[in-house]
Amino acid sequence: MMLPMRPELLKGHLDALLLAVLEPAPQHGYAVIESLRSSSEGALDLPTGTVYPALHRLERAGLIASDWETVSGRRRRAYRLTASGHTALREQRAVWEQFSTAVTAVLGRRPWPATV
Amino acid sequence: MAGHRLTPNVDARAQARIDAYLDELAHLLHGPRRRRARILAEIREGLDQSIADHTTDGHAEDQAVESAIDHFGTPPAVAAAFTGELITAHARHTIAWYIATGPVVGIWWLLLLQPHPWRAGALGLLAAIPILPLIAVATATAAGTFATTGRLIRWLPEASPGRALAATIAVAALAVVGDVTVITLYTQSATSVRPLGPSRSAEASSASSAA
Repeated sequence: MMLPMRPELLKGHLDALLLAVLEPAPQHGYAVIESLRSSSEGALDLPTGTVYPALHRLERAGLIASDWETVSGRRRRAYRLTASGHTALREQRAVWEQFSTAVTAVLGRRPWPATV
Repeated sequence: MAGHRLTPNVDARAQARIDAYLDELAHLLHGPRRRRARILAEIREGLDQSIADHTTDGHAEDQAVESAIDHFGTPPAVAAAFTGELITAHARHTIAWYIATGPVVGIWWLLLLQPHPWRAGALGLLAAIPILPLIAVATATAAGTFATTGRLIRWLPEASPGRALAATIAVAALAVVGDVTVITLYTQSATSVRPLGPSRSAEASSASSAA
């Protein structure tokens, strides 16, 4: 189990994470939060109040769309990626790969301080 | 929100706790009514799922409800998280209303302040409705705000909620200034073309002849 990550560390990457979670199949808001948590082994256990507004913002940007659906007698708002969302995810993946490669190259050269 | 049952198996005490939570949240959310209703429905649905998960994990019902509420955050925290989206939604809603009604108001202005038949084109319009540059600024502000808070934010810098709200207030103020100016101009022109009544001298002469 990894340590939970502070939400402010994710600033700028939350959009891409949410789009990636929705890429395989439509999900409702709470399932998105659980998917983020489980796929990161608990590191991305984000407060609910962060995720729902971010989903609304992505919908406003046209990157995801949502519809009410009824599953086992329960009404849920399911979010799905739009064509623009798929394109944006591809772009953000490429940006992240460049960024992470650069940061790893820099940080990787430094010896980590020994912990006592 | 009270009375909206979540998990059918939740007992009355747990249901009352959830209703109280949603009631408090409902009072703290400010913005378009439909958007607030949607947020509350989504939070309710998420709480429902979270309680079901905790119950499946073996938690007692009361504990499951408290854990779900803890995970979602206090109503002030949830409301604060939605503030930006609600402000932007309100700004877009208001601006869309101005954009939709703008042409009708424009036609109404043209009917009131008919451009002079001998002055054609933009100059004629400007002479009849001198606040047109102001309206052009309002239209550009409205269009810009709508673009930078909607689908174009993939390519354009996104307007912050505060900026969107400020732009909306500016558009509303310019619209009010435009309306007041047009009404004032119309009132003045109506006064200037009103047929003159009996002049004071005529009134005076008729008064003296009567005497």
